[in-house]
Amino acid sequence: MLKGALLTLQISVLSLLLGIFFGLAAALCKLGRNPLLRGIASFYIWLIRSTPLLVQLFIIYFGLPQLGIDLGPFLSGVLGLGLNVGAYNAETIRGGIVSIPVGQTEAARSLAMSNALAMRRIILPQALRIIIPPMGNNFIILIKDTSLVSTITLVELTLTAQRFIGSTYKPFEMYIMAAALYAVMTTTASLLLGKLEKRTNRGHR
Amino acid sequence: MVRISHLRKNFGDLEVLKDVSLDVAPRQVMVIIGPSGSGKSTLLRCVNHLEVPTGGEIYIEGELLNDSSLKFKAFEAHLNRIRCKVGMVFQQFNLFPHMTVLENVIEAPVHVLKQSSDQARSKARELLKKVGLAEKIDTYPAMLSGGQQQRVAIARSLAMEPAVMLFDEVTSALDPELVGDVLRVMEDLAHEGMTMMVVTHEMGFAEKVGDRVVFMADGYVVEDSKPEEMFGNPKHDRTRQFLSEILK
Repeated sequence: MLKGALLTLQISVLSLLLGIFFGLAAALCKLGRNPLLRGIASFYIWLIRSTPLLVQLFIIYFGLPQLGIDLGPFLSGVLGLGLNVGAYNAETIRGGIVSIPVGQTEAARSLAMSNALAMRRIILPQALRIIIPPMGNNFIILIKDTSLVSTITLVELTLTAQRFIGSTYKPFEMYIMAAALYAVMTTTASLLLGKLEKRTNRGHR
Repeated sequence: MVRISHLRKNFGDLEVLKDVSLDVAPRQVMVIIGPSGSGKSTLLRCVNHLEVPTGGEIYIEGELLNDSSLKFKAFEAHLNRIRCKVGMVFQQFNLFPHMTVLENVIEAPVHVLKQSSDQARSKARELLKKVGLAEKIDTYPAMLSGGQQQRVAIARSLAMEPAVMLFDEVTSALDPELVGDVLRVMEDLAHEGMTMMVVTHEMGFAEKVGDRVVFMADGYVVEDSKPEEMFGNPKHDRTRQFLSEILK
């Protein structure tokens, strides 16, 4: 059972990182001046948010091989989850960035900082404070959504529990155990996020 | 030092600056006064390109600021090079809230001018001492009064060693008892020979510190004279009307 939990943890962390990357990229594209990138980002966010995660996973795992792209279960799972949480993160990150008063950008620009430098040093660190609580929420949901990759043959926590049930005929105990392990992971994640939240609150009363 | 030539600025259909030409000499303190909506803040914001002029030219130390022949990256580099010479202080301070006072002041010298951290720190300490905030270097902006924040903002701007400083109604958001400290710092700066363009409603400052007072109304420069002329013997009706309103 712990082996399954370990895989769940691996999938969660990797898709979390991917989700931050996709989310940040899509948010910056959507806020940028290039209309093509803006269009692509909007389309990506719309597509992911308007379809179920399970169908997205099936398209990547069962559909793409038909086009000659066979990623295997692990990569398919991580990519599907990463793309999914990334779309939700994108809107969270964009919201955080636009909530920073325009005076901050003006002050940075008047100090001869480039757009990119102002974003990295001035805007994003302040936006982080606003972004982290809702993005943390996305990650908690992500950890639980990893159970869906059991449907594409990944022997993570949920599928491990199912297999044990096959040999022990004790579904109640097995699922309770799986649930407890999910709870341990999500609770740990919330605690870590709470710490991060405190750190980004630097300078605020 | 700063040459503004036939500057125009529209916001949509609204013409905020209609035809403004001004020359600011080195070491000159130009105070710009006028009713709200007269375009004085917009004028100042055009001088460091926070507003993009609709027409006309702005030269900083002889170099054309709004050079439309440059594209994208080249223009940004050009702009940032000129902005190093033009400091700006805002009505709302705009300090970076996630950084301490010292970090605010060294941010641009370290990341834009590529100064070493030690060099920037010692310069910052010197500047913060000058504005009377030596003991606040490790404080976050939220813990400071408005007047203290504004003096940090001045120090932050001076850390870039600009050739000209722009002050955009820097005392308008302050409690009355805090205005004096900020004006004193600006006065010291003027005495040291800093070239300054100051948009303000502080007529006392204009009269005492200004080498030259410009009265703007409806997007034009109406009157441009020495402070004693402007306040003692204004030539235009519009100026007289404004001064009598404000000095009531």
